Amino acid sequence: MTEKRTLDCWDYLICGALWVAYIALLLGTVRDLGYARDEGFYFQAAHSYEAWFDLLRRDAHLALDPGVIDRYWAINHEHPSFMKSLFAFSHHYLFENWAIFREQGTAYRFPGMAVSALAVAVIYAWGRREMGRLPGLVAALSFALMPRVFYHSHLACFDVPVASMLLISAYLFHRSLEGRWPWALAVGVQYGLLLDTKHNAWLLPGAFVLHFVLTRGAHFVRELRQRRLAIPLAFFALVSVSPLVFYACWPWIWHDTTRRLQDYAAFHLNHEYYNMEFLGQTYWKPPMPRLYAWVMTLGTVPGVTLALFGVGLVVSAASLLPKPRARVFGSEARISEALEQRSATVLWLLCLLLCYAPWWSNLTPIFGGTKHWITAYPFLCLLAGRGFAFASEQLKPLFARPSWAASAPYAFFASVLIAPLAMTLHSHPWGLSFYTPLVGGAPGAADLGLNRTFWGYTTGAVQGFINSHARPRAAVYVHDTALQSWEMLRSDGRVRSDLHGTLGLAGSDLALYHHEPHMHRVEYELWVDYGSDAPKHVGVFDGVPVVWVYER
Amino acid sequence: MGRARFLWLLLPLAGLFELGAFVHDARRAPRVEEWEALRAPLAALKRPGDLVLAAPDWADPLLRHALGDSILPIADAARADDTGYRRALEIDALGETAPEVAAWPISEVRASGRFRIRIRTNPAPANITYSFLEHATPEFLSAATLNGSNRQACTYTDHAQVTAGGLHGHLAFPRERFACRGGEEYFVGVTILDDQEYRPRRCLWAHPPSSGVLSLHFSNVPIARKIYGYAGLSYFLFRDGGRPPVTLSAKVGGVEVGRYEHHDETGWHGFEFDTSSAAGQTADVDFEIQAAPGDRQFCFYADTR
Repeated sequence: MTEKRTLDCWDYLICGALWVAYIALLLGTVRDLGYARDEGFYFQAAHSYEAWFDLLRRDAHLALDPGVIDRYWAINHEHPSFMKSLFAFSHHYLFENWAIFREQGTAYRFPGMAVSALAVAVIYAWGRREMGRLPGLVAALSFALMPRVFYHSHLACFDVPVASMLLISAYLFHRSLEGRWPWALAVGVQYGLLLDTKHNAWLLPGAFVLHFVLTRGAHFVRELRQRRLAIPLAFFALVSVSPLVFYACWPWIWHDTTRRLQDYAAFHLNHEYYNMEFLGQTYWKPPMPRLYAWVMTLGTVPGVTLALFGVGLVVSAASLLPKPRARVFGSEARISEALEQRSATVLWLLCLLLCYAPWWSNLTPIFGGTKHWITAYPFLCLLAGRGFAFASEQLKPLFARPSWAASAPYAFFASVLIAPLAMTLHSHPWGLSFYTPLVGGAPGAADLGLNRTFWGYTTGAVQGFINSHARPRAAVYVHDTALQSWEMLRSDGRVRSDLHGTLGLAGSDLALYHHEPHMHRVEYELWVDYGSDAPKHVGVFDGVPVVWVYER
Repeated sequence: MGRARFLWLLLPLAGLFELGAFVHDARRAPRVEEWEALRAPLAALKRPGDLVLAAPDWADPLLRHALGDSILPIADAARADDTGYRRALEIDALGETAPEVAAWPISEVRASGRFRIRIRTNPAPANITYSFLEHATPEFLSAATLNGSNRQACTYTDHAQVTAGGLHGHLAFPRERFACRGGEEYFVGVTILDDQEYRPRRCLWAHPPSSGVLSLHFSNVPIARKIYGYAGLSYFLFRDGGRPPVTLSAKVGGVEVGRYEHHDETGWHGFEFDTSSAAGQTADVDFEIQAAPGDRQFCFYADTR
C-alpha cells in the first residue's frame, strides 16, 4: 500500500474539522430557513417516537405491546425510522433536557446536519486515500458547496443523510475488501442503518455485486468454475447483520412484518406522481422527461465542479482500459498508481450510475427535483477530485519557476472552489430557487420554466413581513407550508405566537402563495376571495418572485 | 503536446469565469423597489382600456405588487384574451418581449430605470359592444334551471360566504352569485379558472343541473356580428379528461345561433356564434348549459362584437 493510501493524524484532524465546520455553518444559517413541508410531518412522527421511547424507559412491557407500538409508530410509516428516531433523541436531549438549542426545530434538524456533515468528512477521507490531500479536500468541499446539498443538509429530512449513509456504506465496503472482518461487520451494521434511513438503499448491493464481478475480471469465471470464488466477507454481513439491524431499528415492522414490508415497498414502487415544472411544462403523469435528471444536474451543480468531474470521468475510464491507460498516464509509476485506484474507481462509477439509474426510466416520478439523485453527488465529487488531481499534475509543468509550480495546485484549488463558495452562501435561504450560470441563474431558470420552489419552506423568508404586518391574532393562510411546519415556526418564536395558521382561505387575514405553476389556481381563488390581485409583499431571489403575500 | 497543454489552464479560468457569470446573473433582474418606482410613470401613461403586462411574464407578480389593483385590475390580469385591447404598455425588464403582443406595432418606447416601457398598438382591436360577465347582475340577468316543464329560478345574493377549495378543491365561489338548487356548486357567478397554461381566466361559473338545463337570460343585449367566447373549467382538476362533454347553446331573440360542446382536456377553448343577421339590434340572449349527470363544472366568457 502506498503512503497516499494511509490516513495520518492530520487527516483525521481534517476530517473532524470539516465535520465540525460544516455543522457550524449549517447551524449558523438555520434560523432564516423556513420549515419545509415534509419536515412538518417528520416533526410530528419524531414527537410520537419520542413519546414511545419515554414509555419504553418507564414501562418496557407496555411499550412493547403490539397495539402500543402501532399507536406510536404508525405515523409516517411509509419511511423507516432511523433519522426520525435521531430527531426524537435530539429533541429530547438537546432541547428538552439539556437546553442546548433554544429552538425545537433546530434540535429536530441537528441530526440531519450532523449526518450530512459526515459525508463531507468521509469524502475527504476516501479522496485522501485514493488521490491525496488536496484532491480529497476539493472533493469534500465541492460536495459541501453545492447549493442544493447545502439547502437539504439543513433539514430534518432524509435526503442528504441518505446520501451520507450510502457513501459511508460504500466506503466501508471498499475498506472491507482489504479482508479484515471488523470492516465487513461494519458494512453489515451500516447498511442496516442505511436501509433504515430511506429506500434509496435498495439498489446499493447491486453495485457491490457488480463491483465484485468487474474487479475480478477474467478470474471471476475461472474461480466460479473451480468453486474457489472467494466471496468478500461483507456479503455475508449484508445478508445476515443488515436485515437484523434494519428490523431492530424500526419497531413498526416488529410484528405483521411481511405485510408491512410489502406495503412499504409498494408505497415507493407505486408512488403517486406529484406535479413538477420542467422546461415550461408541468408533468403530473408518465411519461416523465428523460432529460430531467441530467438538465437539473447541469443547472444546479456548479459548472466548475462538473468540469472537474468530466475530467475525472475521462481519466477514470482511461485508467480501466490498458491502451488508454498507457496513453493518458504515461509513466510506469503513474500507471501503477492508476491500477491501485482501480477498485475505488469502479465502485465510484457504479454508485454514481446506480444513483442516477431510476431516472433513465420515464416512469420514475420527478417531483422531488435534485434531492432524489443527491445520493450520486458524493461520488460525482470524488470523481471531480480525481479530475483535480490529474489536472494539477498537468498544470505544474506549465510554470517555469519551481515556486510557481509548487503553488500552482493551491491556486488551482482556490480557483475551483471560489465560485461554489460564493454561490452556496448567496443561495441561502432560497436553496431550491438557485440555478447556476449555465442556465442564467435564477432569472434564466425562470425564463426556461424550471421549478422555482416547492415544499413551502420559503415562508421563513417572509416571516419578517408577516410579523410586522399581520394584525393581532390574525389568521394566516399558509398555502403549501404544512401546518405542523407553521406551528414549529410559531413555537420557535420565528412567527408571532398570536398568529394562527390555517388552510382555509375564508376568514384568513393574510395569505401566502408559494409559486409553482399548477398552484396558480390557489392564487386565483385568493383573488376572488380577497378582491385583489396585488400582493402586498413579494419575496424574491435575484429578482425572481418565489413567494408572495396578500393582505385582506 | 505543444501548446495544447496550456488548455489545462481553462479549468481554473472556468472557475473564475463562473464566479463572474454568477455575479452578473444575480444582479441582472430588477429588484422589488425598482418595480415599485414604476408606479408613478405608469399611472401617468395608462389610459382606460390599456393592457399592462410584464416581459418576462414571470415578473407579473412584481408588476401587480408595484402597480396595485387600480392600474392592473383582476379583469385585466385574468382577461379572456388580448383581442379587445387597443393599446398595450409592455414593461420590458430583461430585454424580453411579451409573446401575446409581440406582433403589435410599437408606437413609442420610454426608459424608466432599468426598464423599457413599450407602447404597442393593436393593429386590429375587436370592438366589444357587450360583455356578459360585466352584466351578470339581476338588472340584466335571470338564471333558472329547467327540467321539462319544471322551472326553478336561481336566487341572487351579494353576500354569500366566499368559499375556495384550495389546491385540490373547487374554484372560488364568489360573494355575488345566483344560487340554484342542488348544492353549493350549483350557481351562476363570476370566478377565475386556471387554463391549460395555468394562467388566470375570468369567467361566468354556470354549473349545469344534474338533470335538465341551466338557462341564463340576458335582457336587452346590443347584438353585433358575433357572440365571441371561451369555455373551460379548472385545468388542474380536469386535465385528465375522460368525462362527458358540456354543451353550451345560445339563442338571440329566441332563435338558436350556435352550439358549442366543451371537452375538459381542451382547457380554455374558444367559440364563436354568428349573429350578423341581428347585428345592430337589441335583443334578449339566452344561454343554455347542459351535461350528462355528474360533477360537470363549467365556466365561460362571452361578449358581443
